[in-house]
Amino acid sequence: MTTVYRPGSLDEFWDMREKYGEALVFAGGTDLFVKLRALNKYPPVLIGLAGVKELQSIEELSGAVFIGAHATHTRLLSHPRIREHFPVLASALRSLGSPPIRNMGTIGGNICTASPAGDVLPPLYVLGAQVELRKKDGSRRVPIREFILGPGTTALTDGELLSGVWLKKEDSFTIHHFEKVGQRKALAIAVASLAALVTTTETGIVEKARFAWGSVGPTVVTSQDAEDALVGLPLGLKALQSIVPIVERSVSPIDDVRASAAYRKALAGNLVVRLAGRGREPLRA
Amino acid sequence: MKEPENGEIERAGYDIGKTAHRADAYAKVTGREKYAADYYDGEFLWAGVKRAGVPHAALTGIHAEDARALPGVIAVLTHHDIPGENRIGIIRKNQPVLADTRIRHSGEAVALVLAENRETLKDALNRITLDYEALPGVFSVEEALKETSPRIHEDNPEGNVVKAVAVETGDSAKAFNECDAVVEGVFEVPAQEHAYLETESGWAYQGEDGTYVIVASTQTPFRDCFEIAPVLGIDPAGIRVIAPYLGGAFGGKDGITVQCLLALAVLHSRGRPVKMWWDREESFLAGVKRLSAKMHYRLGAKNDGEFHALECRLYYDGGAYSPLGGEIMTLGAEHAGCAYRIPNVSIKGWCVYTNNPVGGPFRGFGVPQVTAAMEQMVDMAAQRLGIDPLAIRLKNAVRKGDRNCLGVTLTNSTGAVECLEKMSSHPLWKGRAAWKEEAGPFKVRGVGVACMAHAMGYPPMVADEARAKIELTVEGKIRVYAGVVDMGQGNASTYAQIAGYVLGQDASAMELVLPDTARTLPSGSSSASRTTYTYGNALIEAARSLEKAIIKAACERVPGSVAEGFLFLPGKVRHTPTGRELLLEELAAFMDDSARVTTGYFKMPVVREKLDAIYMGPHLIFSYGAHLVYVEVDELTGQVDVARYLAVTDAGRVINPQVFAQQIEGAVAQGMGYALTEDFKVRKGRIVTRDLSTYIIPTSMDIPAIDSVPVEIDEETGPFGLKGAGEIGMSGPLPAIANAVSDACGTRVFRAPMTGEAVYGALIRKKEEGTVL
Ligand SMILES: Cc1cc2nc3c(=O)[nH]c(=O)nc-3n(C[C@H](O)[C@H](O)[C@H](O)COP(=O)(O)OP(=O)(O)OC[C@H]3O[C@@H](n4cnc5c(N)ncnc54)[C@H](O)[C@@H]3O)c2cc1C
Repeated sequence: MTTVYRPGSLDEFWDMREKYGEALVFAGGTDLFVKLRALNKYPPVLIGLAGVKELQSIEELSGAVFIGAHATHTRLLSHPRIREHFPVLASALRSLGSPPIRNMGTIGGNICTASPAGDVLPPLYVLGAQVELRKKDGSRRVPIREFILGPGTTALTDGELLSGVWLKKEDSFTIHHFEKVGQRKALAIAVASLAALVTTTETGIVEKARFAWGSVGPTVVTSQDAEDALVGLPLGLKALQSIVPIVERSVSPIDDVRASAAYRKALAGNLVVRLAGRGREPLRA
Repeated sequence: MKEPENGEIERAGYDIGKTAHRADAYAKVTGREKYAADYYDGEFLWAGVKRAGVPHAALTGIHAEDARALPGVIAVLTHHDIPGENRIGIIRKNQPVLADTRIRHSGEAVALVLAENRETLKDALNRITLDYEALPGVFSVEEALKETSPRIHEDNPEGNVVKAVAVETGDSAKAFNECDAVVEGVFEVPAQEHAYLETESGWAYQGEDGTYVIVASTQTPFRDCFEIAPVLGIDPAGIRVIAPYLGGAFGGKDGITVQCLLALAVLHSRGRPVKMWWDREESFLAGVKRLSAKMHYRLGAKNDGEFHALECRLYYDGGAYSPLGGEIMTLGAEHAGCAYRIPNVSIKGWCVYTNNPVGGPFRGFGVPQVTAAMEQMVDMAAQRLGIDPLAIRLKNAVRKGDRNCLGVTLTNSTGAVECLEKMSSHPLWKGRAAWKEEAGPFKVRGVGVACMAHAMGYPPMVADEARAKIELTVEGKIRVYAGVVDMGQGNASTYAQIAGYVLGQDASAMELVLPDTARTLPSGSSSASRTTYTYGNALIEAARSLEKAIIKAACERVPGSVAEGFLFLPGKVRHTPTGRELLLEELAAFMDDSARVTTGYFKMPVVREKLDAIYMGPHLIFSYGAHLVYVEVDELTGQVDVARYLAVTDAGRVINPQVFAQQIEGAVAQGMGYALTEDFKVRKGRIVTRDLSTYIIPTSMDIPAIDSVPVEIDEETGPFGLKGAGEIGMSGPLPAIANAVSDACGTRVFRAPMTGEAVYGALIRKKEEGTVL
């Protein structure tokens, strides 16, 4: 038998945490319960975060937006600040799971699961997100890329909770782009994905670019080399194709039941090429 | 019933050709409809199966002591506990209920546990261990056919061959030399999982009279009695099978799943009911799959596009037991030339045993496999000859009076040409070139067609018959005793509609008794596109008898009246000359009990020529279809997006347009999964795609708008002109999509499913070949 507790505040949460040492924490449960069923191992105590008031807020604070860890994907999607300032994130959220999964699943859960296929992660990487981690007696902020250590592993220490995500408003990027290649159009785990932010000049020359790929390495993959190589070039087929070899060198995908490593590698490059459609150059001669 | 002369009265009841709401719709939408596992009784026990987990082995010991010792475990049963025969099988009795000496696939049942609850059951199953000596396995058709390969069924005189068939008409060897163009291809189609909403389930108990009552999610309640009884070593009369509405079956419940195990469990349940409900993983592991196939095709044509010769070599993987594998392959062989007139044909087919999951029926039986191949061959021939794909089909499609590839004369409704003609006048066909032009960046568009035939009913060697029973209840309701299962396709509602129409009643007057071997009459399986055709005909006869019986009673109540003077209205009959009305309830009270119940019988007609053309004999009546699809392929990912779909169908007249459309749309959706994403992967006898997170069925987002257009040609022998509509839609999507992908990409993917990765690979190969040339 498993007992489920639902604290209403962080204070209550810390108390419970202390009392039930081996308790597991869940938010929407859409990752955790799948795992528990597969292992057929249920802990004696589960603590649910749905009622913890401090984890629910989405607020704008001096040039940044704070997203509470328990913000569900559906809530984020319907939030004007998210859609306005972080279209790349909204686009990823739209591709995540299905309506029931988005209703239950949370941003905190997606981050803590630390799956290379987590759809929220590539946007958070390109947006330079920082995660806020709390203990009973303090908190710290860590850049997302330092928080995610490997597939399924994070920098969370014992007794620490992810309380939320800080995003700086990135209005300087003219192109917010997310694409996921899955095996179908919904309820699809990424075979490969790309989040991209690009700024071009009036004439279409790339001023800055940020890329992050999902499902092509043990964690989200980024490539400073590819980004640098694109700067100064006109955003178009030729320039994008020229950085494909760099992209392919940066990723380290694996074979699994969903796709081969070779296909994933090809996708990583091709998803960048897709951006040609966003540039000013004609695509076909 | 005669229409009144003055025509003043309109029929208020059901009508034929008009949508009537499904009797099960409300209950299903609100979650109230009960499936087999939903009948709860507080005191029931859970039963579950220990499965082998190895694909091929000699079983030397079963250790169940630890499981038996667990509190809450009522019994652990093995093959030693089977009182009767430990072999089942519809055609070939070779599958153990619980393994005795040999394990032939990973999902093989080895022990049966009865426990107080599900947790204990799980725990107990984990505690059972097996001793076995692994045997080399056979995992492909090629291996199975090798002389040197291990034999999976030692006593099978044909080695690993379940069944082999050959069809020769004309002189194909000579005919190929007379052709102007010969195209050749090798096609592979995967095993497919049914993935029904309701996994295999049921519950059972022993009735007070000693009868074993099994409520199960089954398509074959009557046949099940004859399979279960010998296992218990009793007479089939001692078994009662009840089949409520099923949450999908598609052929996967055509035969035994939980039934024998539940019956065995009841022998040891100490008087308590027992329930069994496979979870998704067990359903994947132990349930039957569509047979994967490899098919070598050669098609020869004359310059004008006329097909002249066909050669097919068909290899079906039946898996470890394949209860109907030989028959599935045989139906494939019968349809290998699809809906075409080809005078010279050589078709050979093999179904083999392997150590892969058990193969079995799945919507379309063996026909989707061969249609996938043949319909691509037709496009390849058209391309070679520079003929339009629709024109070449129109030229060769069978018409009434033609002989099909087996040499059988098509004497009944034959609407292949009408389907193709309807398609040719549809806006989607006419607008295809314009649509293709509008592809966006990195996209290429293609349009594909396919034409299909699907036989209705059992082959002539198996009587395709039904017995309908109908009752005027003392409450004045019309009760239809449906002996054939409604697995979700809505046939039970159509029965209410048919009987209601004949008797002038509306839905409120109708009651349905779902299949129950103790209450309804044997009417065969819910399968083979036969369900509404065969039972519907029997029901019309039963309803007309009841109509006579009711009018007879009415005549007795109205002095001086004659039968022609009565009109049926909802809940009553009216004597039109006098205007006097008699409630059905009133009439029922005056009728003898035996007069209130009538029955009807129907047997499907069969061929009278060429009975020896193929194993079990060829079919007489076919449904036809023509499908058209628009696809867009992404050059960067290979992903195929199905944009539009048109399904034109000749399934005779349509009784209920909504139910008809649901059958076509459902089949097309299932066919799209088969074409694009569904790949039941097995490596060395072990399932790789073990649940719905890796076995990819389409979601609503993946299915485009489907236009379903019936071509309503009257089938003279059908109930109100109907033919089977359940399977015909399944065979079209794979070849239509394959042809569209080929049209878009200029290269063909010969293996399904056409995943993004597979199509991307084909695009790359084409590019590389292009640069070499
Ligand atoms: C059918 C289905 C489809 C899916 N599709 C997708 C998809 O398309 N894309 C995708 O990325 N994911 C998908 N997922 C995975 C999942 O839904 C998401 O990752 C979701 O965001 C997880 O959030 P959750 O709140 O449900 O996490 P939970 O399951 O509640 O938690 C996940 C893990 O994080 C920990 N955790 C949660 N919150 C905190 C916190 N505040 N502090 C510390 N630890 C915490 C939990 O202890 C647990 O270990 C799918 C899942 C299912 C079942």
